[in-house]
Amino acid sequence: MDDPLIVVVLLLVAATATAAVAVRDPVRQALVLSVLGVALALLFTVAQAPDVGLSQLAVGSALTPLLVMLSVRKVRRRQGDGKGRAP
Amino acid sequence: MNGWTLTATVALGAGVGATVWGVATGPLRRRVVAQNLSSALACPGLLLLAQGYGRPAYIDLALVLALLGPVGTLVFARLLADDLAEDPPHAWGVTFAVAGYGAVVVLVLCAVTGPGRAMVKLLVIGALLIGGNLVASRALSGGFARSRRG
Amino acid sequence: MDAQTALRGALEVLLWWAGLTVLWLVLISTVDTLEWVVGASAALVGALAARAARRAVGGR
Repeated sequence: MDDPLIVVVLLLVAATATAAVAVRDPVRQALVLSVLGVALALLFTVAQAPDVGLSQLAVGSALTPLLVMLSVRKVRRRQGDGKGRAP
Repeated sequence: MNGWTLTATVALGAGVGATVWGVATGPLRRRVVAQNLSSALACPGLLLLAQGYGRPAYIDLALVLALLGPVGTLVFARLLADDLAEDPPHAWGVTFAVAGYGAVVVLVLCAVTGPGRAMVKLLVIGALLIGGNLVASRALSGGFARSRRG
Repeated sequence: MDAQTALRGALEVLLWWAGLTVLWLVLISTVDTLEWVVGASAALVGALAARAARRAVGGR
């Protein structure tokens, strides 16, 4: 019924997902991933599944980036320690 | 397809499309600003969709996004504070333009809804959206670094 | 002095409770008695948590 809207949001999701794969740096990947979460929530909404969209928003917009960023921070800190202690 | 969903299509396609481009390319300071603006642009779109579909329950999505979008940006602002301190983003023009767009959408929907609890809910969402967006932008442009060093 | 502190604390919890109850009633779809009861209880828990959080942040 709302074909143009679904097409536009599908294109958004496709573009964001491609960007999330193409970007190499994990920090920037986390940024793209957070936008991908919002785009997926939009897709679920236009597909008339707002309950799925709600859980996608709750997980994708804040929780996934937080996990990725905390992991990156920990890995970086460990690498920094390794370099500092290396002879 | 009615006027509301048409407006939502154009706004989502242009606005969120631009933020996808901004978050996928360019320096880090532009990417964090684009990530912040993506949630601030998608939230009015969700409000327009709820009005267009004639389902007030869909407004809850916009409420959750207005609440959690700035939280996600604050995560980045906190954990990238050292990277952003050397090259802080200054995009207040775009930020205020997006906040104005959100305010216009919320006010138009308030005028359509008419006085009542639904209008108060819309105003709460608008306040969360604009306030959260401005707080997150301030944190990105050096709020965390300054508060830690100063 | 102690009574005054307790009074101030009770007043703060009451303010938080009133605000949170109003927020609950605005955000739900239909208002009935059960919603009132559930909302008022949840707002009381939230008010106590909010006061504890404010004291933990502000009392440094």
